[in-house]
Amino acid sequence: MSGDLGKYLEQIDKCSHCEFCQATCPSFREELVETLLARSRLLLIKACLIDRELTPSPRFRDIVDGCLMCGRCVEACPARIPVDEVVAAARGELNKGKFCHELRRRALTRFMANRGPDRMIAFAFAIAEKMGLWPPGIPQPVSAPVTGKLSGVVKSRGQERGRVVYYIGCAANSLDPVTARDVVQVFTENGIEVMVPPDLVCCGLPALAEGDLEEARGAVVRNLEILGGLDAEAIITDCSSCGMMLKVKSLSLIPAGHPLRATAEAVSGKVWEATEYLNGVGLSRKPGGLEVVYTYHEPCHRSFSPTMKDAPRALLASLPGSRFSELADPGQCCGAGGTFFLEHRDLSGRIRAKKLEDIKSTGAEVVISQCPACRAYLAAALPGKELLHPLSLLARAYGFRGGG
Amino acid sequence: MAKNKNIARDLFRLLNADKVLAEPEDRLCYAADATRYFAQRSPDAVVLPETTEDVSRVMKYAFARTIPVTPRGAGSGLSGGCTPIKGGIVLDMKRMNRIVEINLTNLVAQVEPGVVLAHFQRAVEKEKLFYPPDPQSMDVCTLGGNIATRAGGPRGVKYGATGNYVLGLEVVLPDGSVINTGGTCVKHSVGYDLTHLLTGSEGTLGVITRANLRLLPLPPARKTMVAVCETPEQAASLVTEIISQGAVPARLEFLLKSGIGLMNVYLANRLPMTGEAYLLMEIDGLPAQVREESGRIAAICAGMKVLETRVVEDDKEAESYWRARQNLNPILQAIFKRVISEDITVPRDKIPQLVQAMHEISVSLGIPLGLAGHAGDGNIHPTVLLAQVNEETEKKAAQAVERIIRTGLKLGGAISGEHGIGLHKSEFIELELGRTQIEVMKSIKKAIDPKGIMNPGKIWMEEAGL
Repeated sequence: MSGDLGKYLEQIDKCSHCEFCQATCPSFREELVETLLARSRLLLIKACLIDRELTPSPRFRDIVDGCLMCGRCVEACPARIPVDEVVAAARGELNKGKFCHELRRRALTRFMANRGPDRMIAFAFAIAEKMGLWPPGIPQPVSAPVTGKLSGVVKSRGQERGRVVYYIGCAANSLDPVTARDVVQVFTENGIEVMVPPDLVCCGLPALAEGDLEEARGAVVRNLEILGGLDAEAIITDCSSCGMMLKVKSLSLIPAGHPLRATAEAVSGKVWEATEYLNGVGLSRKPGGLEVVYTYHEPCHRSFSPTMKDAPRALLASLPGSRFSELADPGQCCGAGGTFFLEHRDLSGRIRAKKLEDIKSTGAEVVISQCPACRAYLAAALPGKELLHPLSLLARAYGFRGGG
Repeated sequence: MAKNKNIARDLFRLLNADKVLAEPEDRLCYAADATRYFAQRSPDAVVLPETTEDVSRVMKYAFARTIPVTPRGAGSGLSGGCTPIKGGIVLDMKRMNRIVEINLTNLVAQVEPGVVLAHFQRAVEKEKLFYPPDPQSMDVCTLGGNIATRAGGPRGVKYGATGNYVLGLEVVLPDGSVINTGGTCVKHSVGYDLTHLLTGSEGTLGVITRANLRLLPLPPARKTMVAVCETPEQAASLVTEIISQGAVPARLEFLLKSGIGLMNVYLANRLPMTGEAYLLMEIDGLPAQVREESGRIAAICAGMKVLETRVVEDDKEAESYWRARQNLNPILQAIFKRVISEDITVPRDKIPQLVQAMHEISVSLGIPLGLAGHAGDGNIHPTVLLAQVNEETEKKAAQAVERIIRTGLKLGGAISGEHGIGLHKSEFIELELGRTQIEVMKSIKKAIDPKGIMNPGKIWMEEAGL
């Protein structure tokens, strides 16, 4: 992948206007305006930035920025056009040389290297909250990441069945350390040794979403240099979006001919979302009883692995005492879109409202999902309900509470 | 440009601001349907009505100023039918998307036109009811668009197309007045059948704002089967054989090897590439009936010595074949520079001749011709595929299209089974209907739409007026 939009011209031209993306595109489904549809974004990006038939206007900027980058259109697209990548490249093009973007980019660079906010960014977040710029109920990332505490090797309990490297997502790292601890607990309980390498950086997806491909590539390279040298059967992550980045998008960023291409391919082949990996190898320790009614929200970034969305259902089906209550539309976006909701509060809020109704009608007290952004964003509007990673629910069934 | 600004300004006064779009970006996105090449110009404004009252207001305004109005559903049509070639206003009906009622006793539903077909089907299936019409864009296409084009799909063979399910309509006429045609009863013999005049009128007579649709009880069992045939001729004969022996599958699709190759990408359990043609079938009904009928069809297949008959037991797997089938046309559009989907339909017993004729056309013009479609009801879609678009290939494509159309008519068929005429087939409509019939249609058009503002430029050729 390069910043050059022209590279995508052939792909853009494959769009036949079949309109099948109307079935999944969350911004379209909410507004029912065809301009805010995946195929329209392709059409307008071509008209404004490639053919230059239209001048990029504020309306055009809104349309490009109004994409949640969920990638659901790619799933619905018979031609599998990578609309998300085209939108990212367009954002990169639009952001070039913009002062505001430069500020954001610098903050992002620091955030990514740190895998969480450093003191200055934390300060900026605090100001934003005071000024009412931060949505209520959404926790702010803390600057004492959990990686430092978990780094190293945690031996398995009982007979060792395998060894994995655990890539802790930035969200678990600085927002939700309980999830990271639960993942380690559940794996080691099941005879799998967990290694948490120090010095990894953010997966790079936030930079990619901004269209900052160089920054994203830098993060991928840094992580590959570390992950490529480790001896493990699998690399697991608690975050579906990190999974997508490590498994799929990294290969677009490290094209054939790049010195790290072979490493990227090897690493990509080992990446699993933690629930899916555990479901694949099976549980060796039987979970105890857990009286709970729960439902499952499928994260948008799920198509990198076709069985990822089935894994939580399958793995937790054996929890004695629990009852699973399926959502009417489990795959529909919740509106979070990573950090999309911070800047599009109205649209995100309306998308979320439908999800909330769906969740409430299931009667579930716990909602599980492998995406930390979805969990935080839904939790803010669901007082009295808990939003958990699937493995956190399993951790409870093993008797660990709140990160053991 | 001034015209665009004026219309937009007036509409903003007439309706809430969030129901009107008039930026150049928005207008560009409403210029085309799923046949990109028919897009000629952007509309001057797009209106997103939420009530019949909204539609009526817009029509009164447009009527007074003689501004063209083009209603639009999902925009997934394949005939250029909803392209605003004269500019004016596009009425995007997707926000009128309420299912007003599903009446379990009367087996009737009342819907607004923007309801997405698949959403409607899921809603009625929850009540153990069934709405069969299944155009392949069902995940996005709207009931209003379906009614306006008499859309259909694979289930046509047993259940017919949309036209068979429309009992009554609420319609806003070009001058803004509102009429209710038909009703909710299965029997209705009062005056001219305006319900079925409006059904299939492609937005040229009025705007459908509500519809009463007939429902059936949901068949409790279904089974999918695939027959791998040695030749297209064998598959075609198999179709006639199955039907003549009294078995009526719910869906009966004819596919060529090339189509199967593309579908295989989406299938976990891929189909063997040993055949030259394939029949994809679904049998539905009571469990015993499904067992009996699928057994009978398997026996017919065996009797005709097809290469393989696959009976799909798993529901999820069965679904994957139909989903892959749904993707076939769009995937062709992604591979080829231009795809012209023809829509002829012939009496079922003429399928073998049709298949043979299509092969001859393809060979004699040296142009690839896809062939996939609803063989069970005679509606096979010959698809002209252009890898390059230039003067020579366009000329050949035009020749192919004309020969396909003439073949369909010669075999006693129709030039369109389920897509409608739109812009795509207006040059051929006279071949089928003849001058007199077109004159009758035009006088009806003139009586209902005297100013010719409803979706102008569609169905018949421009120079013929209106």
